[in-house]
Amino acid sequence: MSTNDPQQQMIRDAMQAIAQRKPGKTKLVYDKTKRTIVAVAEGSQTPRALNITADDADMFAVITISSVWLRQKWPQLLAEGSVRCHFSSWDDGDALTQCNLGPLPSASVVQAAITLAGGGASVADITLRIDLKPIKKAEATPSDFVAPDGTSYRASGSNSEQSVSTIFADVKPELATRRSGILETTILADKSVLLIGLGTGGAHVALELAKCGVGRFALVDRDRLSVGNVVRHPGGISQVGRFKVHVVRDLIFEKNPDAAVATHVLDLNFASKEELKKLIAESSVVVCGTDNRPSKLLVNQLCVEANVPAIYGGAFRRAFGGQVLRVRPKVSPCHQCFVAAMPDEASDVEISSSSDAADIAYSDLPVAVEPGLSLDVLPIANMVAKLTLTELLKDKPTTLRTLERDYDAPWYLWLNRPEPATPYSDWPPLSESSDEMTINRWYGIYFDRNTECPVCGDFLSNIAKNYGLNLDNFAVPQSAVGATPMPVPTED
Amino acid sequence: MTMWTTEQRQRVYVEHETLQREGFTQFSVYQNKDNDTYYASGYATSNSGRRYGLHITIPSGYPHARPMMYVTDPLPLLMSDGRKLASLGLSHYMHTLEPSSNGMVQICHWREARWHSGIMLFKVFLKGHLWIEAYEQHLATGRNLSEFVGTMAETA
Repeated sequence: MSTNDPQQQMIRDAMQAIAQRKPGKTKLVYDKTKRTIVAVAEGSQTPRALNITADDADMFAVITISSVWLRQKWPQLLAEGSVRCHFSSWDDGDALTQCNLGPLPSASVVQAAITLAGGGASVADITLRIDLKPIKKAEATPSDFVAPDGTSYRASGSNSEQSVSTIFADVKPELATRRSGILETTILADKSVLLIGLGTGGAHVALELAKCGVGRFALVDRDRLSVGNVVRHPGGISQVGRFKVHVVRDLIFEKNPDAAVATHVLDLNFASKEELKKLIAESSVVVCGTDNRPSKLLVNQLCVEANVPAIYGGAFRRAFGGQVLRVRPKVSPCHQCFVAAMPDEASDVEISSSSDAADIAYSDLPVAVEPGLSLDVLPIANMVAKLTLTELLKDKPTTLRTLERDYDAPWYLWLNRPEPATPYSDWPPLSESSDEMTINRWYGIYFDRNTECPVCGDFLSNIAKNYGLNLDNFAVPQSAVGATPMPVPTED
Repeated sequence: MTMWTTEQRQRVYVEHETLQREGFTQFSVYQNKDNDTYYASGYATSNSGRRYGLHITIPSGYPHARPMMYVTDPLPLLMSDGRKLASLGLSHYMHTLEPSSNGMVQICHWREARWHSGIMLFKVFLKGHLWIEAYEQHLATGRNLSEFVGTMAETA
């Protein structure tokens, strides 16, 4: 680590000299007046006293090593005296993070060797050396490494410039500890979520679920991350060009390294129906974040057939608001019930990309790309994540079980602003609206399931009953090719 | 060869019977035995007495996938200025989608983004009738067809 602040550099030099027990030009003395330890620089006519605070301890570079990885490598370390590994070097060497910890390394990666009690004499061509020395049980602290045989080891790291402090990261239990107050540690580990559509909303949902500890993900999207996506998508500019499924997979690993993530670059249509059907059958719940009706209805049909709950989220145009539909097959209204009952609401979608616009444009009437802001999409994505979590925890003995009572409506509506030319344009300001509908509030709305729905109801049998038809005898008039009553259209 | 499910075959059968029972007896659903595909067709007669051939291609994903409706007769279908209507392709102002490769105009009944499996073929033929009436108004006035189909709202 380097610093341009001379005062900080003096403190750092002094602390380093003390840590290495070397005589230096700067020494630490107790300042009785200030009642604190100060560093005194020699050689100056007026000795400069520098206050040293607890924060200055963070001036040392920090090495972070994966405990799991080290335990796996322990037999090799015992046998050979050293093991090699790579570290991401961040912030000009201030933080050195073992590459095995996550999928996204720094642009600067350094070679390192971990040695055992000064062993591994042949270790060469390395930038960083971390030596492990056994310590007595009585002296061991929680920050020391515990080997598979139960012995504690303390690390001392150094590179060519400085001493560094070492942290052993036991990722899985440390992450679980942070969730344990509200989510039991393993309750979501065996749950599988299929996320279809990894735009801004879908990607955000995936990351929130990963943070909650969901253990298995299947990701479906056909698109690559573009430069224009970056202003909204969790993926950054350095990821541009990658398929979104791969970008989101790596972001999930950054939050939950133990997750199992399968990726599928897939265009959602009737041709990919069988593949999608298989993925749905393997899922605990499906999150559909696509922004067109045909794909949502296809997912709906397959989820109802497979009896898998699904959450559909979407922003309205320019994300002036959004909606979330939760479908419990044969219990609550499905997406087909929704589009039939509320066609306008179901059709109001954000046009967030040129391909979305092209899908609905006419040759004589182009459609403008009108994406909303990320901050207007995220409330909707948060609700999707919350409802997904509720489905995953359904009937589980958990603190969040109480959410089942509150999230009991099938459809949820959110408004970011009173968009002109919409039914919401005259909603009152927040300050005048204690008992009226306003923006920035969720509304859970009931509507009935259509018992004659062609997807989740008895559509055919109802018509057959009304017309006295026998569905077992479903023949229609036949016409051979070439003998049709009129010319027919041909396709290329 | 298309693999139709029993439910799909029941659906096209119900569509055929519904056409007959809802007063659309000039249209039928047919099965092409040679390649096991389905289509619906028949002649619509406008208020002025002209006849138009309508053909609905029933896709393998039906009813979840949108069927396509073409004007098969007259061919070519001309605009008021004498140009071929099919040459416009995907036109908002004339309510047409991409024509068939042999130049038949495809009527925009429901767009992909508005279609759902609750819409039955008799409604599609009904929209075909509305489109034909608007087309004849276009021939008479030269104005865009979309000006005459305000009631052809894309709701269902």
